[in-house]
Amino acid sequence: MTIAAPAAAPVGPALTVVDVNRILGPLPNDDVPSRDEDGLVKELERLRIDTACVAHSHAVYGDPRDGNARLGRIADERLRPVPVLVPGPLGTGDWTGGGAPLVRLCPDRHGWAATGPYALGLTAALSLAGVTMLLDWGAVTAADVDLLAGTRPRLRIVLTGTGYRGLRELTELLDTHELLHVDTSTLAGHRQVEWFAQRYGAHRVLFGTGAPVSDDAGPRHLLDTLDLPAHDTSLIAGANALRLLGGGA
Amino acid sequence: MTPLAPAAGVRAPGGLRVIDAHGHLGRWGAFAIPDGSAAGLVAMMDRCGVATACVSHLLAVGPDARAGNALLLKALAAHPGRLLGYAVHNPHDPEAAPRLRELLAVPGVIGVKLHPEVHELALDDPAYTPAFEAAADHGRVVLAHSEHDSRWADAPRFVTVASRHPGVPLLMGHSGLFPQGYGPAAEAAVRCPSLVLETCGSRMTARHLTRLVAEVGADRIAFGSDAVFLDLRIGLGRVLLADLAENDREQVLHGTMAALLSRATG
Repeated sequence: MTIAAPAAAPVGPALTVVDVNRILGPLPNDDVPSRDEDGLVKELERLRIDTACVAHSHAVYGDPRDGNARLGRIADERLRPVPVLVPGPLGTGDWTGGGAPLVRLCPDRHGWAATGPYALGLTAALSLAGVTMLLDWGAVTAADVDLLAGTRPRLRIVLTGTGYRGLRELTELLDTHELLHVDTSTLAGHRQVEWFAQRYGAHRVLFGTGAPVSDDAGPRHLLDTLDLPAHDTSLIAGANALRLLGGGA
Repeated sequence: MTPLAPAAGVRAPGGLRVIDAHGHLGRWGAFAIPDGSAAGLVAMMDRCGVATACVSHLLAVGPDARAGNALLLKALAAHPGRLLGYAVHNPHDPEAAPRLRELLAVPGVIGVKLHPEVHELALDDPAYTPAFEAAADHGRVVLAHSEHDSRWADAPRFVTVASRHPGVPLLMGHSGLFPQGYGPAAEAAVRCPSLVLETCGSRMTARHLTRLVAEVGADRIAFGSDAVFLDLRIGLGRVLLADLAENDREQVLHGTMAALLSRATG
């Protein structure tokens, strides 16, 4: 009695898989394979993830200026640097991410108000520059998201780590704001990814894992077993991310 | 196929008969479950190659054990072999003990589900003793929700009841639920031979699972998904894609729970 090899085995044509929500570097509370670039790339290869958008752990758990500086050392082209931004005079300074198409905000970790004047200045700059913003659902309230998306209707926001308990709050936000997206990292309820894709369109759902803090294997397997048309699955797996990154239609 | 036996026909890629040790039917109050039907769960099992799911009804876990257990029996009758059942024991129900004994005699009911967190009564409270005694008398298993740092369901309470009822296989649902709880869960399993760790939970990762297998052995770990609370495919993928030896993966996905069910079928 044997079982399929651990490498993901797609049932249809091979998907281009882009993880929009990943961290490179050591964590303060665990030992993880992605503590360095080699370890992360091996994990991606094992799970057949083609590209990962990575913030550095020093930027998330330390001062973002230090962590963002480490992104310049990334050598592997499969890793797309995602700077972590902080607004205000004590922040990261460059409010458009230095040309990166995707940035990450952690107002809870870095101690700034998600909807304060500095934040609204930052989101105005991001909106003008066409930069997409990753925002962790656990770092804000639904009212914060409503205000940010409402005041910057052209700003593309990807809510990460939404969990499976917030479906009712999320639907209100996604019904209201067309450029609001969700990632799959903890969208873990029964058939929730299908539900979101069918209600809002697959173009608003992006594959993201939140690894190594949250699991990568489960969401990766989900991609291969989604009960959606192949085109929708390909959008979720990577095409949406490539579009936001400027690498595809 | 006996009513207690796992289904034989449905297999995962590679031929394994996957058994899900921890599932549910129904809906939950705190958030929306778009489809909590038994037919929907079985369709999902077909989609990803899970032969059998051992489930309790969420109505029984939540407000009404009597009504929820009745719905469970209907689902088991509608999907024999594909769904096996845990009868929920609410320790606050004065008729819980005799009702549980009746439920455990029904074909397809393979064990007892305890949820100290919902019932707000610690797992080692004597009010659960009739449930363990009924499980022992019927040769059934007990699945209990665990939660690290909980006053109702933390690892030390599992050690207490496992030591008190060593003949009853005790599944530790979620293995502590939070990453900080996996270590204490493993320690409890090492101390108590009747304790089996179960893998579901939104905080579990393939990395944590691999560590648990290394610490306690695959024969002490059973795959669970928490469907329809959570998506079956995510819990399954965590085991399928974990960096495990193939024999360990097979043990987690099938062997551990098959052994418990074999015991339950006598």
